[in-house]
Amino acid sequence: MIDRLTAALQGSRADFTEIRVEQSWSSAVTMRGRRLESATASEDQGGFVRALNRGAGWGTASFTSLDQLEAMVARADELSRAVRLDRPIRLADVLPQQAEGVSDLDGDVRGVSLAEKKRLIDAYNGEMLAVSDRIVDTLATYRDEVSEYWYANSEGARLHEVRPEVTLSGTAIARRDGTIEKGLESIGLRRGWNSVQGKAAGFRAVAERAVRLLDAPTVRGATYPVVLDPELAGVFIHEAFGHLSEADFVYENPQAREMMTLGRRFGKPVLNVGDNGAAPGLRGTLPFDDEGTPTQDTALIREGILVGRLHSRETAAAMSERPTGNARAISFRHPPIVRMTNTYIGNGRGTFADLIRDIKLGVYACGAFGGQTMLENFSFTAAYGHMIRDGQVTELVKDVVLAGNLFQTLDRIDHIAGDFRWNQMGGGCGKGGQYPLPVTEGAPHLRIEAALIGGDVPPSA
Amino acid sequence: MIDALLELARRRVDGGRRGGGGGADALERRVERTALAFEAGRLKAAGVTEEAGVNVRVLHRGRVGIAGTTNVGVGEVGAQHAAPLLERALASAELGEEIALGFPSAAKLPRVDTYIARAADAPLERLIQIGQFLLSRLAREGCQVNVAIEREVGETRVANTAGAEGTYRTTGVGVSADVWRIAGDDVLAIGDVVEGSDLPSDEALEAVVRSITTRLDHALRIVAPPEGALPVVFTPAGLSAVLLPVTQGLSGKAVLQGISPLAHRVGEQVFDEGVSLTDDPLAPGRTASRPLDDECVPSRVTCLVQHGVVQRFIYDLETAARAKTESSGHGQRGIFAKPVPAYTNIIVGEARVPGPGSRVPGELGGGLLREVNDGLLVDDLIGVGQGNVIGGAFSHPVALAYRIERGEISGRVKDAAVAGNVYELLKRIAGLGDDARWTGARFAPSLLLEGVSVARR
Repeated sequence: MIDRLTAALQGSRADFTEIRVEQSWSSAVTMRGRRLESATASEDQGGFVRALNRGAGWGTASFTSLDQLEAMVARADELSRAVRLDRPIRLADVLPQQAEGVSDLDGDVRGVSLAEKKRLIDAYNGEMLAVSDRIVDTLATYRDEVSEYWYANSEGARLHEVRPEVTLSGTAIARRDGTIEKGLESIGLRRGWNSVQGKAAGFRAVAERAVRLLDAPTVRGATYPVVLDPELAGVFIHEAFGHLSEADFVYENPQAREMMTLGRRFGKPVLNVGDNGAAPGLRGTLPFDDEGTPTQDTALIREGILVGRLHSRETAAAMSERPTGNARAISFRHPPIVRMTNTYIGNGRGTFADLIRDIKLGVYACGAFGGQTMLENFSFTAAYGHMIRDGQVTELVKDVVLAGNLFQTLDRIDHIAGDFRWNQMGGGCGKGGQYPLPVTEGAPHLRIEAALIGGDVPPSA
Repeated sequence: MIDALLELARRRVDGGRRGGGGGADALERRVERTALAFEAGRLKAAGVTEEAGVNVRVLHRGRVGIAGTTNVGVGEVGAQHAAPLLERALASAELGEEIALGFPSAAKLPRVDTYIARAADAPLERLIQIGQFLLSRLAREGCQVNVAIEREVGETRVANTAGAEGTYRTTGVGVSADVWRIAGDDVLAIGDVVEGSDLPSDEALEAVVRSITTRLDHALRIVAPPEGALPVVFTPAGLSAVLLPVTQGLSGKAVLQGISPLAHRVGEQVFDEGVSLTDDPLAPGRTASRPLDDECVPSRVTCLVQHGVVQRFIYDLETAARAKTESSGHGQRGIFAKPVPAYTNIIVGEARVPGPGSRVPGELGGGLLREVNDGLLVDDLIGVGQGNVIGGAFSHPVALAYRIERGEISGRVKDAAVAGNVYELLKRIAGLGDDARWTGARFAPSLLLEGVSVARR
């Protein structure tokens, strides 16, 4: 395949050309309630060509028929030439890499039959159903993929990788009369079949919680000291801050550049944030990004001060900074754009007990049903919460929605514990129509001095 | 390819013990997409995408199996890929449980225009012109303008072993524009989209410009949000949080799962008389329109809620078989998964077939502001779709909202959140605007609801 790509690159008239080709085998088994919803095995394959010429913009072509490779290289060059630019696009230099990378397949999922995969997820699904007859519905999905990946560019980069991925997810719906609650379990790993054995306890736990939430009161909406568990803290830092640190948000916008000036204070000295695409064994980890740049650990906030951002070759050149290996595409159907990999809040000091000791009345917000940021505003729905009273974790509460302004909230993080943990979840990140991109988030427990918790809805007129 | 595939399936698929129950259906879709990205006021990238894929479902010994591939090839060449694909579908069926799925037989299809040659043939320069027009009309000091244009030309063929089939071509053009304004830590982004089977008319582009500038002008002044149980106008775009629980509840799938609050309520007056919801796959010029669904069921208009009374739920073949009813023609399938029930075009308000263009009036709120002494106009919320949607309760910070004082917009509010229960709020509608327009696949006017909880933070 590399030889084919090399030949196609030699035929290109463009100043710069890169080609990605992917071939993937995936399977998915979904159980709903007591029955099989679907079991499928799929094959997907295709390529993406990107071309750039002096005085011109990007031309791209994506395709599922590999017979079209040469024609698509010509097409991308043509499209690039049709985009005339007065200010040229420059690419920061990256040493062209030649590498052969086969990740640990950890039990190649391609050697496991659909029937075995069904037995596995059926068992996990059964754990949720067995919890209580209040569990009226469940959804449990096993999904895996092995993709073979080739990258080559006209500067001499030649990469070949085999990447595994496996995810488990479970939703348990508990119902009593008109009240419906849910619990979510999600595991996502860049590993294989061996890594998803023995996961029953997690499925059982979320179903038990869904049942307990039926009796839990809705949290009273107000401003509280709020402690986030590592899962919610990780989702928070990814959604609320991470996206602003993606350089494509700022590089063409002078006002945004000003807002994200390096050296600006974003938080108290306890706050350290980074993105590490090279961290071993995580879902967002890869040796190279989709421009052939090696991944790395990039510091974003150090002791409360903004010190870095995430780059592609184009944004790095435009801002006279260095590429960080964050140009990623979810598949051959898309161009690489600036994305996160494994985003984290660095470890602090002390224990969870230290965080809550002096809270008279507060909320311990745990897990995430979802989160969205709109520029500097965000909203996160915790999976559940507990009230904190006089330094103790007390009753379970539900409908815990954390909303606020990013800058204020980051600045109000006043205590970070020393219990850092990566959250190896499934799902993924969405941006620019590219979803789901495998990423990981990690954080310790942290405390926000004051944050708005939305919860109870006053009865309407 | 799918004809070869179905021919093969006729020989391989087994009716099972009961006999006669076997069969297969398949969908083949080919798409060519052209996309332009204008970033910060200039064209930055142009791209094409060519994609083809086949999805097949078999009913083998009473069990359903699914498989998909993009390894399709062109024309006759494709036939060689049919056998391995079918084998994968049969392997998938081994695991399934028995279901009495019936494939529809041949039927006459309604006529609906889904393909417009002018849009399919428009050269790149014509698309670039559209973008440059928007850039020039939207340019303003201190703001960044991004425009994206996408033109898609597709062909879909769907057929089954019972003799039903349909082939249709489609065009779709989507033009979106966003204006970003960052002042200190205040980030404002206001955008609009025009979408249809045809190239947007000059009027439609002007409407996008007007819609963005009107909302931007009103947004420059920031005012304190009101607080309490207040009248709130939801614009056609801002309505999503209010409609999502209802459309989720009207899905036959949610009814089967036992999680729809609307189950067993067909024929009941659940909402205000002003609430009507129709699914219209025959709306001319819309990209979600099609002559038949992805399971060979001919398209027809489905009235979901009429004058507040729940009429029916949407089903695909499988959910219909489980619910012992008929498919409403809402089967939708991708290349890699099995069909699911999904809406086409949702029309909110009085059932009628609107024209193809987006009509955006100059005035925000479609004439409803006059009724409001102190309240909010909501155009965009954060986090819609998160949490426990189907129950009807929502609570969202605003992304773009304005305060209404004495019948007029007094400025943009930040740091406010709206909350309520859709099933309570929709029992009484204080007014429907005269500004009905398309937002994606939804045609709706502004809606005035009373007693929405507005909180400050």
